Amino acid sequence: MTPRTRHLGGWAVLLVAALVCGLGAWSYGQARGDRSLSHAKARDTALAEGKRHLATLNSLDGENAQRVDDGLRAWLDSSTGPLHDELARTRKADAKSLTTAGDTARGKVTSAALTALDERTGTAELIATVDVEVTPRSGASGTQRKRFGATLARTADGWKVKALTAIGTGGGR
Amino acid sequence: MSASGATTTVSSDAALDPEAEEARTGTPDPEVGADVSRRRWPRVLGALLTVALIATGGALYAEGRQLRDTPATANLALTDAEATTRVTGDVSSALSKVFSYGPGATAGTRAAAERVLAGKALQQYATLFGQVERQSADQKLTLTTEVVRAGVTRLTDDSAHLLVFLDQVYERRGRTPTTASAQLTVTAELRDGRWWIVEIGST
Repeated sequence: MTPRTRHLGGWAVLLVAALVCGLGAWSYGQARGDRSLSHAKARDTALAEGKRHLATLNSLDGENAQRVDDGLRAWLDSSTGPLHDELARTRKADAKSLTTAGDTARGKVTSAALTALDERTGTAELIATVDVEVTPRSGASGTQRKRFGATLARTADGWKVKALTAIGTGGGR
Repeated sequence: MSASGATTTVSSDAALDPEAEEARTGTPDPEVGADVSRRRWPRVLGALLTVALIATGGALYAEGRQLRDTPATANLALTDAEATTRVTGDVSSALSKVFSYGPGATAGTRAAAERVLAGKALQQYATLFGQVERQSADQKLTLTTEVVRAGVTRLTDDSAHLLVFLDQVYERRGRTPTTASAQLTVTAELRDGRWWIVEIGST
């Protein structure tokens, strides 16, 4: 092998390496810039977090004042915007009435789907069926099946529930 | 890359190659040695650069793959807005058709069902509808079903899962209508360019 071909071979190897690097960077850039990919991820995150918050908002341990207070704090943590304001405003009265009633509710989301997602504004619409098991202070527990429509908003702390509507018969529109 | 050929036959090429000369003499002339090391450092640098470039390219590619390779991307719900709207529309209209009937008009409903239901859903429906036909005729019962909300939970090129909220109005002649709400999970498949409901479940 002459120095000349060796020299050229070296350059060729370097060129191939540069190409490999370029292709890697291009592929990574494509993945990063893929709108539908980030859209899909936002959808799955919003759905998972929305389900979690909806279960929280349908649960409350009415055992004693302390637990009611914890439950109400969890409600505030799961909500944002108008719902958060509303819950914060009625918190004192809620704590009082819920402690007096002493019922315990446990919500479980049985099925949920997003019906809309706007990544630009950071909002999503969620529909879900929730089984709420209510155990009164005295007496047998019963399960209620509820269906909800929730508006989710993206906050610095993840997706949270901005508005919550029970979709009764008649559409609840 | 060997200089062994050059060590046995002294060709003009080998004579010009400083490395070959080094291999032959064993003890390089200091001047030639300095020349060799000066000639060698770009080569070492080139090798390092090559390795660095390949490693970076590989790492970026792997990172990109990881970003892309999630179950999230396999699900087209909402990311393919057009397909999502289409399957929601098809399934909603199918459900309101097959769950709406009036006395004497059950044949039309049955025919409609055969155009939108397939597989397990059609079997379930046929079993159920036998009773419904009798009831509807006996009690002058009219059922109107309206889809109030529908969301796609999973969507691929040819299959979909949906959650559908329905309102059903029962009317018996001479009585006030009653409304009931129902929630269904629906599995649909795309066949011949149309979405067919293949399975209906309750949530």
